Amino acid sequence: MASPLFAALLALLVAVSPAISTNPEGEALHSLRARLKDPRNVLQSWDPTLVNPCTWFHVTCDDRNRVIRLDLGNSNISGPLGPELGRLEHLQYLYIPPPPLELYRNNFEGKIPKELGNLKNLISMDLYDNRLEGEIPKSFAHLKSLRFLRLNNNRLTGSIPRELAKLTNLKVFDASNNDLCGTIPIDGPFATFPYQSFDNNRRLNGPELQGLVPYDFGC
Amino acid sequence: MGPATQRPSFLLLLSVFCAVLTVACGDVPADAVLLLEIKAELLDAGGALRSWYPGGDACRWNGVTCSDDGARIVGLNLSSSGLLGSVPLVLGRLGSLESLDLSSNSLIGKIPPELGTLENLTELLLYSNSLSGGVPPELGSLRKLRLLRLGDNMLSGEIPPQLGNCTELEVLGLAFCRLNGSIPGGLGHLKRLRILNVQRNTLGGAIPVELAGCSELQVLAASDNLLIGGVPPVLGGMGALQILSLANNSLSGAIPAELGGVSSLAYLNLRGNMLRGPISPELNRLSRLGVLDLSENDLSGRITLSTTNLSSLQYLVLSNNSLTGGIPDDLCPTNSSLHNLYLAGNQLSGEALTGLLNCTSLRSLDLSSNSFSGVIPSGVGGLGELVDLVLHNNSLTGPLPPEIGNLSNLQTLSLFHNSLTEGLIPVSLGYCSKLQSLALGDNRLRGPLPPTMDMLTELRILSLYNNSLEGPLPETLVLLRNLTIVNLSHNRFTGGIPPLLGSSSLVLLDLTNNSISGGIPAAVARSRSLARLRLGHNLLGGAIPPELGQLVGLDFLDLSSNSFSGKIPSELSGCKQLNHLLLHGNQFTGTVPSWLGSLRSLGELDLSSNKLHGRIPVELGSCSSLLKLSLHDNSLSGGIPPEIGNLASLNILNLQRNNLSGPIPSTIRHCNKLFDLRLSENSLTGTIPPELGQLTELQVMLDLSRNQLSGEIPPSLGGLLKLERLNLSFNRLQGQVPSSLGQLTSLHRLNLSYNFLQGEVPATLSGFPVASFLGDDKLCGPPLEACSQSQAGKELSNTAVAVIIVAIVFTSTVVCLVLLYIMLRIWCNWREVAVSSSDSEGDERRAGGWSCEDGKTSRSCDYWKVNSMSSTVVSSPRGKKQSQAAAAPCIFHLKMEQEGALEKNSPV
Repeated sequence: MASPLFAALLALLVAVSPAISTNPEGEALHSLRARLKDPRNVLQSWDPTLVNPCTWFHVTCDDRNRVIRLDLGNSNISGPLGPELGRLEHLQYLYIPPPPLELYRNNFEGKIPKELGNLKNLISMDLYDNRLEGEIPKSFAHLKSLRFLRLNNNRLTGSIPRELAKLTNLKVFDASNNDLCGTIPIDGPFATFPYQSFDNNRRLNGPELQGLVPYDFGC
Repeated sequence: MGPATQRPSFLLLLSVFCAVLTVACGDVPADAVLLLEIKAELLDAGGALRSWYPGGDACRWNGVTCSDDGARIVGLNLSSSGLLGSVPLVLGRLGSLESLDLSSNSLIGKIPPELGTLENLTELLLYSNSLSGGVPPELGSLRKLRLLRLGDNMLSGEIPPQLGNCTELEVLGLAFCRLNGSIPGGLGHLKRLRILNVQRNTLGGAIPVELAGCSELQVLAASDNLLIGGVPPVLGGMGALQILSLANNSLSGAIPAELGGVSSLAYLNLRGNMLRGPISPELNRLSRLGVLDLSENDLSGRITLSTTNLSSLQYLVLSNNSLTGGIPDDLCPTNSSLHNLYLAGNQLSGEALTGLLNCTSLRSLDLSSNSFSGVIPSGVGGLGELVDLVLHNNSLTGPLPPEIGNLSNLQTLSLFHNSLTEGLIPVSLGYCSKLQSLALGDNRLRGPLPPTMDMLTELRILSLYNNSLEGPLPETLVLLRNLTIVNLSHNRFTGGIPPLLGSSSLVLLDLTNNSISGGIPAAVARSRSLARLRLGHNLLGGAIPPELGQLVGLDFLDLSSNSFSGKIPSELSGCKQLNHLLLHGNQFTGTVPSWLGSLRSLGELDLSSNKLHGRIPVELGSCSSLLKLSLHDNSLSGGIPPEIGNLASLNILNLQRNNLSGPIPSTIRHCNKLFDLRLSENSLTGTIPPELGQLTELQVMLDLSRNQLSGEIPPSLGGLLKLERLNLSFNRLQGQVPSSLGQLTSLHRLNLSYNFLQGEVPATLSGFPVASFLGDDKLCGPPLEACSQSQAGKELSNTAVAVIIVAIVFTSTVVCLVLLYIMLRIWCNWREVAVSSSDSEGDERRAGGWSCEDGKTSRSCDYWKVNSMSSTVVSSPRGKKQSQAAAAPCIFHLKMEQEGALEKNSPV
């Protein structure tokens, strides 16, 4: 009895022996990969023994070997959005693709990790056409470089964080086809977004009234 | 149970006699018949049952044990006998069996429930087979059972709670199966249970607190399941427990301090759960603990463990948590027995090694990926037992101390990604003669490699990238015959490649961005396992040796930015595994080889900035995995092959600056993953295919500028909602700017200049600066000058346009003549007038390229819009308007600056 058991226990120990590994951004991506379902093995090139992830396919670095772009839109990749993404601090473009229909249960569902608010260099965040739930993280107010934020066609709930009005660079905001509630901010960039950006949110009550008693009921 | 009725009467008598003698009846000759039935059912590939033959003495048969008096068969042990087939049902009739061992065979099928009738059974061992189905609940009636091991099979279903009735059970082994459900609380009735092993199943639910009733339990192994809930504090009362392994489950909550009360505990493994909170100092009471693994959790707080108390501790693994603070001095004082200390991936800070210098028993130390700072103390030389010293991803400074040479057992030295500076690699490093892995990349080391490097003959990994190391690669490196991974990239090394080729086991050779010169020696190809060869950004030249084609496992070949010349050898077509082929920035001649189409794994192909000519081979369309294709800055001619549409995964396509002609193939619509498409500076003709509008992932750039494209801008381009930069300038595009372009909400830079566009600029594009539309003389409307009515006409037939043009020309000629006449009259009258300069227009023309819409300029664009609108309203259709508009940009630029400054200072 004892010997196979101890062999199994020792195997666990062998697994923790030190190994040469990639840089922190590579580690973040590698632990993200561990969560993802990748039936076509398109992330095969994500070799954590390389010194950085810059030669991994679907990853783009700048000339200082910092990850600026992540394209998972290529094939059948699905899984939860990991908080690891928040460690890619130089990321400029994030596109989480719509899931293939046959992977309905395993797609990028769940909440939007608040850690995405750490991506201070992010220019574009495309999370549309997924099945994301929960609220739009208030931490998005830290995305000072953000120009494009597309969250449409998900199952997001709660109100539109007023903090987003601080995103002075925001040019495109689309939160249509969700289950958001409350009122629509009117400050900052929100003064310019068309009504279509908020379409099809049954419980959304229209623009907030300033100077009056806020009527954020039902949210 | 006995098949007495079918036997001769004397046997019946005998069996009755037996039955009188013992409760469990059995008789050897009758059982022998059963054994022969068993033999018939099994496929005995190994000949283990050769001795079983009819009429033989069953007690002498292989694997058969009889009772001391020779009257009953009490044991059957056919372990590791190479048996195939299913577990014979007949076994259920061997009523006298006390021990049945069929482990480590290749048995398939279900465990027969009939085994539940073998009521004398004390040992049932069926582990390591390929049995499927459930664990039969009938086994619960085996009241004498002490040993039940069914693990390493494909058993599914739940653990039957009836096993709780086997009150004599001492060992229950159900590991490495596919059991689901939860661990039955009824197992807590098993007062004699010593070992419970359910590792590696898919068991869920909580750990039943009833297990605490197993007061004799020594081993509780439930790792690699889906258990949830907390670690039950009652486990702390299990005084006999020696091994507790709950690793790789989904357990949450804190580690109960009560565990500190299990004084017999020798092995505690809770790794890979979701445990939170601090590590209780109560665990220090576990004086017999040899292994403690709490890694891969979310534990926080400071390390409060001490080997002063944990005097037996050899392995301490706390990696990948959220621990903070420094390494306490009493973690490992003198006379400790700690061998392996792994604290990687936490938020630990302070001096890395100072607190551990007395921990002379250490063999393996991993403090990587923390926030440790300070220098590596010279005292590190006292840790003479060290085999692995892993300190990468920290903020260590100072030099690598020469005392490192005292670590004669060292095999791994990993210090990459620190701030090691002030220094050379110490000469004494050569005394670490067992060193296998030397990783000093991403530091600030400088100077040459020490001459003693050649003493490190065991070295397999040499990774020194991103330092300021210099000098020629020493010739003696050729003595390092075991090298597999060599990464010297981003240094200042000079000399040639040959010193690194003493090994024929290279897997990775990366010399990117040094000043390596000479050619590529054919000897590189001796390393048949070479997967990555990166020699980019050096001073290498000559031809690519055809021998590289022998590297059938080559995955990455980067020879970019050197002075390689000649043709791309066809032998490279042998490198079928190539994912990246980067040959850009050289002087390669000849054509783009058609055999590239046979490299089906190719994901990145960059042949840009060479001297390649000829056509783009249609075979490239076969590289269906291609993500990046760059052929720009060559002299390629002919058309873009329609087969480009087969590259359905393509992200980036860059064919700029060649001599390509013909139309843009409409098949390009299939490349719908493209986010960057550049075809500029060629001689492409025909219209812009409307299918381009289907490339909805286009984001970085769509550049078709400086070609000879004609026709209208397809309105479908308005579908490129993510597009940030669009350049169609310097073509022969006609017609109006489609209003759909106004939907390009992401558009950030737009250049439609120098075409033959006409009509009104769509209002939504009026925010772009004039430069976006320069040279399209018939365009009007903001930001350009206002449209006169005829220009604004939108849906007019060609004849109507012609008529209007003629009319305009005629009228304006007349008007001009009249004006000229009036002016002449005025001029004659006053003879003095100021004419504004037209310099500004020239400036705009030279600016040519991009017109930005961001920041300050964007405000100015708005301003410009407002002004031009007001000018439309205010100005009357008089001749003077022309000269006003020509002078306008200059004046407005000044205003823009002021306005921008004002907006900055004043609160919005």
